[in-house]
Amino acid sequence: MPPHVLTPVNYAIDVQGLGVQYNLRLTKKNTLRTTFQNILKREGGDKKFWALRDVSFRLVHGESLAVIGPNGAGKSTLLQVLAGIIYPSEGVIDVRGQISSLLQLGAGFDQELTGRDNIMLAGAFLGIDHRVMLDKQQSIIDFADIGDFIDAPIKTYSSGMRARLGFSIATAVDPDVLLLDEVLATGDQVFREKSKQRVLEIAANAKAVVLVTHDMHWVTEFCNRAMLLEKGRVVMEGAPAEVVEAHVEHSARSKAEREAELQAIAARAAAAVRVKAGAR
Amino acid sequence: MQTQTTAVAPSRPRAPQRGPVVLLREAASEISQRRQLIKYLVQADLKKKGADSLLGNIWWVVDPLLQMMVYVVLVSVILARPQPDYPLFIFSAILPWKWFTSSVGDAITAVSGQDKLIKQIKFPKIVLPTASTLAGIANFAFGFIPLMALLLLFYRDRISILLLLVIPIGIVQLVFTMAFGYLVSATNVFYRDVANVSRHALRMWFYLSPGLYAASSLDTIAKTHPTIMKLMELNPFFTLFESYRAVIYGGDTSGPFVPNFIPLLILLGASLLFLLVTTLVFKRAETSFAKVL
Repeated sequence: MPPHVLTPVNYAIDVQGLGVQYNLRLTKKNTLRTTFQNILKREGGDKKFWALRDVSFRLVHGESLAVIGPNGAGKSTLLQVLAGIIYPSEGVIDVRGQISSLLQLGAGFDQELTGRDNIMLAGAFLGIDHRVMLDKQQSIIDFADIGDFIDAPIKTYSSGMRARLGFSIATAVDPDVLLLDEVLATGDQVFREKSKQRVLEIAANAKAVVLVTHDMHWVTEFCNRAMLLEKGRVVMEGAPAEVVEAHVEHSARSKAEREAELQAIAARAAAAVRVKAGAR
Repeated sequence: MQTQTTAVAPSRPRAPQRGPVVLLREAASEISQRRQLIKYLVQADLKKKGADSLLGNIWWVVDPLLQMMVYVVLVSVILARPQPDYPLFIFSAILPWKWFTSSVGDAITAVSGQDKLIKQIKFPKIVLPTASTLAGIANFAFGFIPLMALLLLFYRDRISILLLLVIPIGIVQLVFTMAFGYLVSATNVFYRDVANVSRHALRMWFYLSPGLYAASSLDTIAKTHPTIMKLMELNPFFTLFESYRAVIYGGDTSGPFVPNFIPLLILLGASLLFLLVTTLVFKRAETSFAKVL
């Protein structure tokens, strides 16, 4: 990479040549037995793969970037890297300001604790001063529209309530950079509208938003940039409408490919049956 | 369909490997900055343990008593090993040992049990085993209720002001437990059989420590196999049990006495060193937690 020329633009996120590598040998619940087996067999050499490679982009204040792509393209990994949860294997990443990153809203709640306790706990995990959290508590509860359930353990909540509370916490903390992963599809129609308004508000307050979504309507209507990821690489980046078009075209093509594959398998199976019948 | 050229960048900057001093300093500042979070986590832990069952924290009082009864039956009835005031003798080992095993058990799942959270929020993971170990102190503290009851009801002659010395001895144990907690909490992320192994390893550890028996009963081993004795004395719980027993129980016929401070101080030094090492291990492993979980 050539040394970066810093433009006077006040950027919120700067990503250069980002790569994230997973070592499959280390991931997924190892036991000593599997480790020994791996050491003994040494099969398949290095089981490593790149979840993301050569990703570069820069987001200035006020921009909201939609990351789209098929399943397994590395969208969620990208958000995790931006949030600082996963460390990049290569490349440079610079996110300025406070980040809010309840990526899968409500998934990290403590089931045994009440909603109120979880608000305080989430705030503490996010590194927000508890006095600030005490001030915000009521507005978080009001926005999430949980009612009396706020003093009941989270395990009694419906998934919608959990997601609403998660969204409410993630967005109440005035983040400079908001990272959202497939969260706008949660909740009822009313809450969906409310959350759209909230996201737009945050984006309008000259703060950056990166969101992963499958809702193409959202991408074209509310994001001012879009990025298409496929197999961990940036395939296209630019105006939302064009990127969405490319994505739709790509997914139609891969769908056609999959169907062709399916037909081939079916044809082979049918042929096998015929051979079997002929032999008899 | 690739619109991007695959011109490979000449150099790929990698995250620099950070030195031990930097990591240790980072760990210290993380713990001091996230005091509030640790406090919440400890509170949540205690709240959950109390709310789990109908009797709540009563179990922390009853549990060591029941365990004591099991050992009393085992040792003084079945094995017929005479030891004056055996219930108190054994209780002085059960209390710290229960504290240690429950803290280790909690530490094992402290990180791996929070997998969802770790994947969605960036926070210093070291707060998790720190909080679980600190919450474990309550287990020890509650154990003093049955201990005091035992002393007041049956062993009034063994009550002494020296009982207060359990606090410095407990601090030594806390340092060792914290260090051990960091190690197992990080290891269990990568190898899930730590929990299974630990159950048996801890039981063996207890039997190898002078908990059920007095260290003096090992005198014959000390004479015939001095190296084995030396190894047994390296066990932190050799020193800890002997010290607790000195201040809670005392001698066979005499009351509590001041424990030998030299092995305790050596153990404290060794535990602090161990803590530095396991903190480093934890900090090195931390960066891959979110990927592995």
